[in-house]
Amino acid sequence: MVTSLGATAAATCEAWRAGCVARRRTLEELAGTNLKHAEVAGMPEFDAAERLGGRRMIKYMSEAALLGCVAAHEACEDARIRERFPPERIGLFAATGLASASLKDLLPMIRESVGEDGRFSCRLFGKRSLAATNPLLSFKILANMPPCIASMIEGIKGPNLIFTPWEGQTAAALLEAWRAVATGEVDCALAGAADNAAHPATVVYLKQSGLLADGEYPSAGAAYLVMEPAATARQNARHIYAQIAAMDTRPSNGTTYNPLALRMGRSFAAAPAILLALACRSLDAPDGLAGILPVRLCGVDRQEFRAEVGPVANPCRIEETA
Amino acid sequence: MRRVAITGFGVVSPIGVGREAFWDALEEGQSGIGPITRFDCSTFDVQLAGEVKEPLELPETVARVAAEDPKVGFAYAACAAALTGAGIERLGPGTLLHLGVSLEIFNLEKAVCNGKPDFKTIAERSLSGVEGPLQIPLDTGASLICDSFGRPDRALTNCSACAAGAQAIGHGFRSIRAGLCEAAVCGGFDSMINPLGVGGFQLLGALTTDNARGPSACRPFDAARSGAVLGEGAAVFVLEPLEKAVAEGKQVLAEVCGYGSTLDAYSLSAPDPDGDGAARSMMAALEDAAIGPDAIAHINAHGTGTRLNDEIEAAAVRRVFAGVWEHIPVSATKSVTGHLIAAAGAVEVGACLLPLVRGLMPPNPSLDRVAQGCELAHVMGKAAPFEGEYALSNSFGFGGQNATLVLRKFDGRN
Repeated sequence: MVTSLGATAAATCEAWRAGCVARRRTLEELAGTNLKHAEVAGMPEFDAAERLGGRRMIKYMSEAALLGCVAAHEACEDARIRERFPPERIGLFAATGLASASLKDLLPMIRESVGEDGRFSCRLFGKRSLAATNPLLSFKILANMPPCIASMIEGIKGPNLIFTPWEGQTAAALLEAWRAVATGEVDCALAGAADNAAHPATVVYLKQSGLLADGEYPSAGAAYLVMEPAATARQNARHIYAQIAAMDTRPSNGTTYNPLALRMGRSFAAAPAILLALACRSLDAPDGLAGILPVRLCGVDRQEFRAEVGPVANPCRIEETA
Repeated sequence: MRRVAITGFGVVSPIGVGREAFWDALEEGQSGIGPITRFDCSTFDVQLAGEVKEPLELPETVARVAAEDPKVGFAYAACAAALTGAGIERLGPGTLLHLGVSLEIFNLEKAVCNGKPDFKTIAERSLSGVEGPLQIPLDTGASLICDSFGRPDRALTNCSACAAGAQAIGHGFRSIRAGLCEAAVCGGFDSMINPLGVGGFQLLGALTTDNARGPSACRPFDAARSGAVLGEGAAVFVLEPLEKAVAEGKQVLAEVCGYGSTLDAYSLSAPDPDGDGAARSMMAALEDAAIGPDAIAHINAHGTGTRLNDEIEAAAVRRVFAGVWEHIPVSATKSVTGHLIAAAGAVEVGACLLPLVRGLMPPNPSLDRVAQGCELAHVMGKAAPFEGEYALSNSFGFGGQNATLVLRKFDGRN
């Protein structure tokens, strides 16, 4: 997990338990605009190469992909899935947020295509901009790339689904992962999401569309969970954080609801995964995590996400092991 | 487990809008590929695409968005046709909407203000309403469909690149089969025919620059193939429990009876050279359908026309269908539609309906000489009669996502 409260699952839990609130910052890219005072959550610093065990593939990653891959790697290492399951039997069920290509990548390319009349010119774009563009840009903007890069790093080769761009889509990914384990379609599922909602263009979109309530601020974030049958986890002597007894998504006509929003910022697609992961860890902690349970969240796509997580009780149930 | 019927099919494609026009063109091997007209591509190396030429009848709210993001209009029109075909007026409880799409449109013209790329000015203009929104989220197609036709239990937007449409159908199929919903409206829509879309794929070296070949530039499995051609459009299906559809007297176009999805976990831009992910995807779909390789009587290949894909796919097909592949005709309809990216898998399921409904397998009209390593029982020249029961459709995506669907002919007796 990587959130505005901490660069790991443990750090995030600890910060939440301690009552911390994300530090906020304004965006330089929006200075001088109507959004000059708009705040986003600041993110903790971390060394991605160190967390991922090398620089392999980092050059292909957008900010969201980087967060997602680090979170996925943390979960996979914690559950030791690579050592315990054939890659073909591990599923990947994930979600990503709105497109958030780096302005640093895009603006020079566009600059090359401004004509004498001061307007964008397709001819100059074809003639000059493409030549000046790093071919890797495509990999940074395709929506499925963050989870796909994670599949390559973790060696996951099984069934998969990737959704986008809001909370309800991540809820669907988590639900499909849970079902895939329950039905035996996979032996183990990596499920989660990453979002970079603090990207300047996304902030403009969110404000313009009225998707942020008063006092809310956008945040980047990512969380992945490993789900597997209880029996397998026990057999392999793995630590079991919690049991997922039920999970559901349903249409809602109510307002959006996100218990993480005020302290962590709204990380949209990442939020259901962060919430579920915190809920599982909450059970594992002696004094729990206040305000996390019950797992309930309703996003801007008006899909309500509910999950029942509890302490390990029934060995037939699926359990979240990382 | 319940059997799953296709009761509605709507399509918007470079070779025709509406299923009859689409099937007619496929049967004739008519290509929809030609010079790009959407923007001035005269300085691009890539100058061909499969564009949707026909105007669509869209409600004002949809037309407004489609003016900026054409794929949204394709999704709406295909969905409306599919629902009409299935005799469904509204989405509601017990229904699922699941559509695949790949990439948000980036309007580069909007990005230039006062002679430079000026994000602050762009943001100001957008916030003040002078310009439209900075982003058109990928769920916009599904949202507009829900606004018009009602809210299903779940509205999902799948972004699994070239496998997205097939995954959406596979997920819809599994949901009906498991009794999780009573109708699944699923498919894919896409258009990358814009400067950044075409330019991005050109940079990756995935598209042919053999512009002189015009309509026959996309040449899956041909010795002279030199890359894919982008296409655009949408295909949407209505899936329902077979028993219910028959009881209600609905026309059943075919059954969906198997689905598999895998990951290569190999490379972002290139398929696994062993074709392992592709082969496992096909095998998973066959196993899901509870049939052996010898039951398949037609394959619609992913067949992009790129050097890498075609050879690897052909090898994977030969491995999965060892001993019988010489007798399984293979079509590659991207030769006439171009590569519709997230819509490709859905449009190609629509192409698989041609043999299952009309009894004819579409030809690969640009295949003159089969490339070494691409040996399969290709349908060359003209449409060939279909004799059998099952068809299989492959979709393999950037990022290493693979999806395969198995369809079955339904004649009321089986």
